[in-house]
Amino acid sequence: MAKEKVRIEDISKPVEQLVKLTLDDLMPLPPPYDKPGEEPELTEPSPDWRDRYVTDLDGYIAIDLPWKPKTKEEEEELVKKFLSGLQKLLDKENNWTFLQPLMLSIEYCARCQTCSDACPIYISSGRKEIYRPTYRAEVLRRIIKKYLSPGGKIKAKFTGDIELNAKTVIRLAEDAYRCTLCRRCTQTCPIGVDNGLISHEIRKLFSQEMGIAPKALHELGTVQHLQKGSSTGLTPEGFKDIIEFIEDDIEEKLGRRIKIPVDEKGAEILLIHNAGEYLSWPENPAAFAILFEEAGISWTLSSEQVAYDAVNYGVWYDDVQLARVATKHAEIAAKLEVEKIVVGECGHAHKAISVVADRVLADEYNIPRESCMPILWDIVRKKKINFDPEKNNFPVTLHDPCNMVRLMGVVEPQRKILHELAPQFREMTPNGVYNYCCGGGSGFAIMQSMNFPEWRNAVAARMKFKQILEAFQDCISPDINKYVCAPCSNCKGAIRDMLDYYNAPEKCSIYYGGLVELMVNAMVDLEEPFIEWEFH
Amino acid sequence: MIWLQALVYFSFTVFVLVVLAKVVKYATMPIHLRWELYPVPHEKGRAEHGGSYFEEADWWKKPRETTLIGELKDMLMEMLFIKRVFEYKRPLWWFTYPFHTGIYLILVWFALVFIGALFEIAGFPISTALVQQLGFLSWLPPLIYYLTWIVGVLAMALMLIFGLGLLFRRLADEGMRSYSSPIDYFNLLFIIAVVATGVAAWQYDSDFAVARSFMKSLITFSPLPSVSGATVLHVVLLSLLFLYLPFTKMTHFFGKYFTYHKVLWEDEPNLRGSEIESEIKKVLNYRISWSAPHMKPGMTWADEVLKVSPNEIGVWKKEEEK
Ligand code: SF4
Ligand code: SF4
Repeated sequence: MAKEKVRIEDISKPVEQLVKLTLDDLMPLPPPYDKPGEEPELTEPSPDWRDRYVTDLDGYIAIDLPWKPKTKEEEEELVKKFLSGLQKLLDKENNWTFLQPLMLSIEYCARCQTCSDACPIYISSGRKEIYRPTYRAEVLRRIIKKYLSPGGKIKAKFTGDIELNAKTVIRLAEDAYRCTLCRRCTQTCPIGVDNGLISHEIRKLFSQEMGIAPKALHELGTVQHLQKGSSTGLTPEGFKDIIEFIEDDIEEKLGRRIKIPVDEKGAEILLIHNAGEYLSWPENPAAFAILFEEAGISWTLSSEQVAYDAVNYGVWYDDVQLARVATKHAEIAAKLEVEKIVVGECGHAHKAISVVADRVLADEYNIPRESCMPILWDIVRKKKINFDPEKNNFPVTLHDPCNMVRLMGVVEPQRKILHELAPQFREMTPNGVYNYCCGGGSGFAIMQSMNFPEWRNAVAARMKFKQILEAFQDCISPDINKYVCAPCSNCKGAIRDMLDYYNAPEKCSIYYGGLVELMVNAMVDLEEPFIEWEFH
Repeated sequence: MIWLQALVYFSFTVFVLVVLAKVVKYATMPIHLRWELYPVPHEKGRAEHGGSYFEEADWWKKPRETTLIGELKDMLMEMLFIKRVFEYKRPLWWFTYPFHTGIYLILVWFALVFIGALFEIAGFPISTALVQQLGFLSWLPPLIYYLTWIVGVLAMALMLIFGLGLLFRRLADEGMRSYSSPIDYFNLLFIIAVVATGVAAWQYDSDFAVARSFMKSLITFSPLPSVSGATVLHVVLLSLLFLYLPFTKMTHFFGKYFTYHKVLWEDEPNLRGSEIESEIKKVLNYRISWSAPHMKPGMTWADEVLKVSPNEIGVWKKEEEK
């Protein structure tokens, strides 16, 4: 664990842990976090994790399965499985979904490293080699060249050597979960090589061939989603109870009762929310209900399993699971005879159903799908509801969810709304399609096992925390309440944990929430403020 | 020296065929899931802020507005100026840009030599003198003469100096060095050697007259003029480079076309009844052999999705717990 640079070949090194992070190495933060002692110390992995889980990369555990091989046989078996998975990744039928983009990225990287500095994780970590966008790509490339192409063993001497052993395999799997798939690196590549995609494909290899993936994504994620109805475990009955509770809550705030449409056949819109909203931030679906009802939109929610949870974690690690969930969403929309599916404030659900899974839906499942953002902007633009921006007269900044913005191109509507309704709105730098990930991307926001949250908060979310602090430097004092508008459930989860980790609500009065909450807060009809400035 | 011409024909043919084969290989890969990345420059009126048609409610009812100009502009900026390296890695740009300019110029030089050779075959000598038979175009041969000289010398200088510069940078830049393999150095050295022998050949052919005669002999399949040893060495090396190039990642000149046009800017929606939709139906019939517990190997993609009931979806278990 010396300070010397980790090389590509080192991934197979027979040491217990390849890299150790220290606070001193990490990127410095702006005031009031610019002094030592302002952030929590990093911890050591607990010793009994070491034999069962993979702590061999940087001591952190993303894949919370006890899958670490113990015997020589298990190690060999693992390497064998890995290679057979890799073969399938390069095969037309098994991986038609990403074969062309993958092959191009394997083949054409010039190793110019133009992409490195675009990566928030690489920079935040103090430029640790294992987090460099090209690191895992180069490892995979060398394995393919050496082990899966004719004469590879000899060629490897010239094109870059690597040893494929069990350490290589387990570290590569963990390293694929040190990248948020934000694809900021890809934007800067002169050749169009996509290192985010490489992480995605490595994850797929492990999941699709061996069933190895973080529990939050697979077992408790897509599998639970398909089996029980939601990755949160929420059942149809539970869902209906929450809707009633939300109706009560709205009545209290609005002064009159709204009937939230559920399972209404023939409505124009099937609105789908991340089920995490119902459980953690019910004010968000409540705000949607108020806005849609007041604006006279024809819409419905669904209480059917899978459809009351918009998430599709498959988009991060498994194409088959992605297709299963997306198809289920579409099937239920077809049954309800709606004109289109509209996705609420959830970035990856936006991208999954509108962009990535666009090409697994055909015929009756091919239902139009769109973002809620333009519809919300239309409400403001066409003055369908009376708003008084003065009600939002506090500092607001906007976080751009990667999935909705860089990866789907929904950039302007949310900004236009904030320009209209938030007099103290200020942008982060950089923003829009060049934004930084919240640190919770690609499933990190929901991966809460063992020490992974520490890594997420200290490293992955660090750049976003820095940006938030910078956006509010003129009003950083805890006397002024500040609002980070994050129109995405996973981003909200990551930002909640990050603010909490750095104790920012107390130190700086920084709060967070969605976009619709701000909209409802500005409604003339509402007597009491909708936003309660309460950290939850 | 017919073998030298044969080598040139051979290597050039192999170059073209292998590049074509690779293009065909990528062009015929199955349709993939959408994976675009914004800004997408053909989004009319939206590319500026990186937006897409998804910024519009009911986008699927409206005609899609795209602009070829926007796409061409971005492409040209990247091709002619290597914009992304300029923006994101300026120190490297100062080396790689002049080097690539040298490559472009040497291609222009080849074109000029080719045109010059055609003129000479037609009986109009290329020299500093005006060619009266060409009437009002009498100035063309001297123009070609001077242009060939300027472009050729400039190209050699750029490639030689900045080729060495790139070599030096690769060694000096930590990040680049640790990712470089022997082959990366070999590639650069190979190019530098070709240029260096070119410079040597030029010592015996200061106005590229021999180069033109050589080209003439290639066009007309006639015997070679007598050439210097340096020229022979240069032509041999250059031919070998052409043989070698298509097998390396230096073919990124066309790889780049696919990464941008077929992946990062490919945002064609799957509308009902569209061609995309029928392609999708085809690939959904491909068979899976993935063997994780939640897969049913041997099934088609469509069946994996529609026919596997949620309760059949297994998850990973430790051996002893199975
Ligand atoms: S991915 Fe692109 S930018 Fe990064 S090293 Fe490779 S060629 Fe350069
Ligand atoms: S996709 Fe994002 S997190 Fe992953 S390597 Fe690229 S910039 Fe870094």
